[in-house]
Amino acid sequence: MDLNYSEEQIMLREQIQKFCESEYDFYKREEIVKSENDFDPSVWKLFSEQGWLSMPFSEDSGGFGFGAIELSILFEEFGKALVIEPYLSTIVMSGMLLDKSQYEHKNELIENICSGKLHISLAISEVTNKYDYLLADTTLTNENVLNGTKTLVLNGANANKFIVTCTKDSELTLVIVDSDADGISVNSFTTIDGQSCAEVSFENVKISQSSIISSSDEASNLVKEIINIATLCISAEAVGCMESCYLKTVEYTKGREQFGQPISNFQVLQHRMVDMFVESELAKSLLFKAMLEINSNSDDKFKHVSALKSHVGNSGKLSAQDAVQLHGGMGVSEEMMIGHYLKKMVAIDALFGNADYHLKKIAS
Amino acid sequence: MDINFTKEDIAFRDEVRDWLANDYPKHVKDKTDNGIALTKDDMVDYHKAISKKGWMGYNWPVEHGGTGWSASKLYIFNKEFGLAGCPPLLAFGVSMVAPVIWTFGNDDQKQRFLPDILNFNTWWCQGYSEPGSGSDLASLKTKAVLDGDNYIVNGSKTWTTLAQNADWIFCLVRTDNSGIKQEGISFLLIDMNTPGIEVKPIITIDGEHEVNSVFFSDVKVPVENLVGEEGKGWTYAKFLLAHERFGIASVGASMRQLNKLKSIIADLDNAELQKKVSKLEVSLSALEITELRLLSALENGGHPGAESSILKIKGTEMQQHLSELFVEAAGEYALMYPGPHGYESNDKPAGPDYAANSLSAFLNLRKTSIYGGSNEIQKNIISKFVLGV
Repeated sequence: MDLNYSEEQIMLREQIQKFCESEYDFYKREEIVKSENDFDPSVWKLFSEQGWLSMPFSEDSGGFGFGAIELSILFEEFGKALVIEPYLSTIVMSGMLLDKSQYEHKNELIENICSGKLHISLAISEVTNKYDYLLADTTLTNENVLNGTKTLVLNGANANKFIVTCTKDSELTLVIVDSDADGISVNSFTTIDGQSCAEVSFENVKISQSSIISSSDEASNLVKEIINIATLCISAEAVGCMESCYLKTVEYTKGREQFGQPISNFQVLQHRMVDMFVESELAKSLLFKAMLEINSNSDDKFKHVSALKSHVGNSGKLSAQDAVQLHGGMGVSEEMMIGHYLKKMVAIDALFGNADYHLKKIAS
Repeated sequence: MDINFTKEDIAFRDEVRDWLANDYPKHVKDKTDNGIALTKDDMVDYHKAISKKGWMGYNWPVEHGGTGWSASKLYIFNKEFGLAGCPPLLAFGVSMVAPVIWTFGNDDQKQRFLPDILNFNTWWCQGYSEPGSGSDLASLKTKAVLDGDNYIVNGSKTWTTLAQNADWIFCLVRTDNSGIKQEGISFLLIDMNTPGIEVKPIITIDGEHEVNSVFFSDVKVPVENLVGEEGKGWTYAKFLLAHERFGIASVGASMRQLNKLKSIIADLDNAELQKKVSKLEVSLSALEITELRLLSALENGGHPGAESSILKIKGTEMQQHLSELFVEAAGEYALMYPGPHGYESNDKPAGPDYAANSLSAFLNLRKTSIYGGSNEIQKNIISKFVLGV
């Protein structure tokens, strides 16, 4: 048993931290959030140059073959800096799905993803499917005509292609389609945490046979596995947020003077910050378990991610709320970073099943 | 990173399981499994059986007759004993006074005391808390005045666990009042049979006699029973607290309780309770990995330090919450409480078997967040040494 990060992993974390400090501070982030599609192509190009866009792909597909530990490190650091670039949707949800599939055209697609030229969004949510992404009311006819509406398509407005879950012959099917194909309409909006998101409607969209990625059990397994990894990633992001919440709150209370002394002298605040620290460490421990068991052959790989997600859903929001409280009026100011962690934690809890949903999954 | 234990560790785990299946004294197991309080003889039999296997010095270095186990092995040992429902090993001799003796004591003291601790020939108790000195331990007043070759000890200790069974007590006593309060404290070993010592029971809310008041009236303690230097007792006391970090999270024991609880609620069709149990299951997993992370850092040459206070806080909260859910599961039958020695009549009242034990555990476990440095003190420690405020 060894639960220490390797030197390479520590270096990767430092590299990401340095990048976020120099290229992605809070003001830069705010600029991106206020831009039209909540996205800055020049930042994405830098991600590509750092090699991050190739990181999780298998070496056969031209990637580095890094695993869940490295991915978690990246997302923890993204959480600390509140990065909103579409890494989750393009790289994890779409790119990794392709990488794990048997799709014959995947190499070319992944190559273009790695170079930063191509954005693909995974369209799996519908008004009716309530976190059960294996259900799809969107249909594909025998003549390969696609009809239906997908909600909460992350980065939908910036995507060049969509991977869409649909039902064909009562079996789950995954198809890939250009975002500018006839019959597609995209209605984009911004999420609570500043990400780009869209509702995408497909009306009699013609799909070629070579655009079918996968179907039946294979498609279901791909979706289950990708959602599990994506859930791990946003939970790691939450772990990063929780660490920042307590560290920034400690720093703030040390500098804030009231009644002639730093408010960090007050035990009632100290114990709240200790609670934030403890919850952050416990979340980190659950992250270790989830990322180290993600390739397990049993259902354990889902169970440990659910444990992590339920924990960060509950305690992550509480920590962020405490951080806001201990920052006083500054905590609720839009121009301060701290309140944005609360928005991020709310968004993370809502995505891919909230705390209660995952607690129920553990019990079943 | 690798979350799996080595082959050697797995082989060791199997050896522990084998001992628990075959050599864990049956009369102790039967009583413990049924929630019946153990007698002094039971406890002695249990500890002697562990001594016989050579495991009493489970957290000792080899040079003093211990096992010299790695942090992983220590973890496995604690966890398996907990999972099997064994009573926790008495810490006072083997884990508390012994490290102080081998670190700060002289050769004569090592020879006099350590072999008897390893063989469980002596039962130790701890004389720290006083009626006026709880969390502010350094304010203690029990006085030891040097008179020729003896210290004359006067004062009282309280919450002394199982003093009624003890042969020896290690005490923090005040030998000097002139400087700051931490500097005038000394570490004395006192034979419980010395004239002038009186032990009076304190009955706790579970009806059990576990703790005591110990009174000292002109008790003569030979000067050779002073450990280390006079006035350095506070340093030794802090050393002792830092030494006892393993197993404090009681992960194995809590897993056993969680599994029991899960099998109980499987029949109850109670969604609210189910949710609380699932939450605890997540917390227990977090606690386990936190302990493993600290052990792993330790094996890698790191110093977990004040972070181990997390284990004290969360480990004891876990034990308490689990016991609360047993009481909830018992529903109205939680009203029927027989006390620690079972119902006197054979006509057991209606209700599930676990109801009575649940209450007794629920009440007994209130102590865990109070002893060993209360959880609020642990938060002060984290605040000061980890957060730096």
